[in-house]
Amino acid sequence: MSGLTVPVDAPMAGDDIMIETEDVGKVFGSVRALDSVNITARRGTVLALLGHNGAGKTTLVNILAAALPPSSGRARVAGFDVTREPREVRRRVGLTGQFASVDAQLSGRENLVLIARLLGADRRSARARADELLELFGLQEFATRRPGTYSGGLRRRLDLAASLVGQPDVIFLDEPTTGLDPSSRLRLWEIVEGLVAQGTTVLLTTQYLDEADRLADSITVLSAGSVIAGGTAAELKATVGQRTVTVTPDPATGPDAAAAALRRAGMEPVPDRENGTVVIAIEASKDIAAVIRALDHAGIEATELSFGEPSLDDVYLALADQQTRPRPAAPAAPAAPTVVP
Amino acid sequence: MTAPLTRTPEEGTAAPVAHAPGRPGSPTAWAGSSMLGQVRVLTGRSLRAMATDPGTVLFGLIQPVIILFVLTQVFSKMGHPPHFPKGVSYLDFVLPAVLVDNAVQSAMQSGVGLVDDLKNGIVARLRSLPIHPSSLLIARSISSLVRSAIQVVIILLLGITVLGYSPKGGAGELAASAGLTLFISWTLGWAFIAAGAWLRRAEPMQNLAIIAIFPLMFASSAYVPVDDLPAWLRVVAEVNPLTYAIDATRALALDVPGADAALPAVLISGFIAVVGAVAAVLGFRRPL
Repeated sequence: MSGLTVPVDAPMAGDDIMIETEDVGKVFGSVRALDSVNITARRGTVLALLGHNGAGKTTLVNILAAALPPSSGRARVAGFDVTREPREVRRRVGLTGQFASVDAQLSGRENLVLIARLLGADRRSARARADELLELFGLQEFATRRPGTYSGGLRRRLDLAASLVGQPDVIFLDEPTTGLDPSSRLRLWEIVEGLVAQGTTVLLTTQYLDEADRLADSITVLSAGSVIAGGTAAELKATVGQRTVTVTPDPATGPDAAAAALRRAGMEPVPDRENGTVVIAIEASKDIAAVIRALDHAGIEATELSFGEPSLDDVYLALADQQTRPRPAAPAAPAAPTVVP
Repeated sequence: MTAPLTRTPEEGTAAPVAHAPGRPGSPTAWAGSSMLGQVRVLTGRSLRAMATDPGTVLFGLIQPVIILFVLTQVFSKMGHPPHFPKGVSYLDFVLPAVLVDNAVQSAMQSGVGLVDDLKNGIVARLRSLPIHPSSLLIARSISSLVRSAIQVVIILLLGITVLGYSPKGGAGELAASAGLTLFISWTLGWAFIAAGAWLRRAEPMQNLAIIAIFPLMFASSAYVPVDDLPAWLRVVAEVNPLTYAIDATRALALDVPGADAALPAVLISGFIAVVGAVAAVLGFRRPL
């Protein structure tokens, strides 16, 4: 888009694209951290950046939060160019990094008041805003304690509260639940869902596939600084993953006999002796019926039969595997906001 | 008008509204802060941390105070060297130098304070906010100046009440001397803030203090008049900027000749401040 000619004063009317990059690249010395990344996120949606350590997720987040200039390409956040109008961008975004970005010397409440004051609030509204956020995040009883005494989950909550002081349009969550226990993760997810429901745009980086699956409207998979796939969770699964049927035959029969019966019906079953099950990859839902017919024909009782959608784990492993081979034809789903080069 | 926050009865799963139209006092009505306001808020933050942890003020005093007590107890019984100013006790002679020593230690602490900030997460937060990055550096230098001033007052009070410091110059001259000491502390602070912004570790700065500043204090007019130093040390002492600082503050406080060293002292430390501040801003801008 013609980012350079758009006036500085306001985002275009009706333009609800909140994050947009155009061939963003970043080079650190001789290391190419990002290579021609194109992503888009609309207002009130969650875009997940999925990738392993070193894939370039944090670098991209820092560029979008106007904390790090890109080496090439352009990025617009909340309608402003991150290189040309970094202050306008910072006024509209909140950043929650992998490490708690709060002052260890101040109490939780003092941290929030400090940020509000730096954003231009007078003392009274700064305190009011801090108290609102403390209550919202269930931090009141820890308000006067220093973050150093907090548990990991509390610190993450304080950090998220800190990035919400100025009511940002866009928040960047860089691996927000890394190292958290399950209940803290759930709590944080609920907070994020609440924010999105009220129109905040979220860019989430994560290594946890279930997190992306639960929160994200669309997912971009990064590997070694490049986008290797993009789409909704369902689209990614449909493209790469495989659906399976898992049969648990009667223990008297055993997985091997069941596998033999299914093989005779022209299928490719994989017996799992340890769990006493047989796994059959299928193409379509009607293939489930074929599995049942084949078992019935051989007179084998199944104590349990389950149908499995591929997990994002499978998707990610498959994509990572493809990376070792020549560039894959990436799934270009028309509905997906992520643009794949 | 929509409240900026809504809340469900339990679990606090609701979150702040992204766009609460400009209700007075709500974040979207905040106009942003001026650099002066940012410096004020951030200085207040450092001072608050100092007030809740006064150990940093007291810890910085240990070395100057030990030097003060040891030197005055050891050397006051010895005869004065030939070029020692007439009618001046060793305590009176050495106390202004101890203040300069403290000023240097305090300057180093501003750099250490910046390194602490870089480590403790607040810098990462500040970088994501629409504020001037140099606000934090200026706030650091100001809060360091406040700490230095508290230390100067404590050393002076100790010297006067416990040891019997009685400088010949009047109260005005003593204040001018202390003011010059603080100016030197503040300007040198910028060199250490620059070092902190580039090195981002406290150890190299503390090593610098031990291997450079400690010898430089001795190779100066601090504890013995320059003319009484061995020839090779005298050469070092005469080009040592600390000699100018010590000569000037001592001359002011004791009303002895040497106050003309004040001009070079101010010029040298002003130069250090300007170079240090530019280097500090450049170093601080680099990504974390």
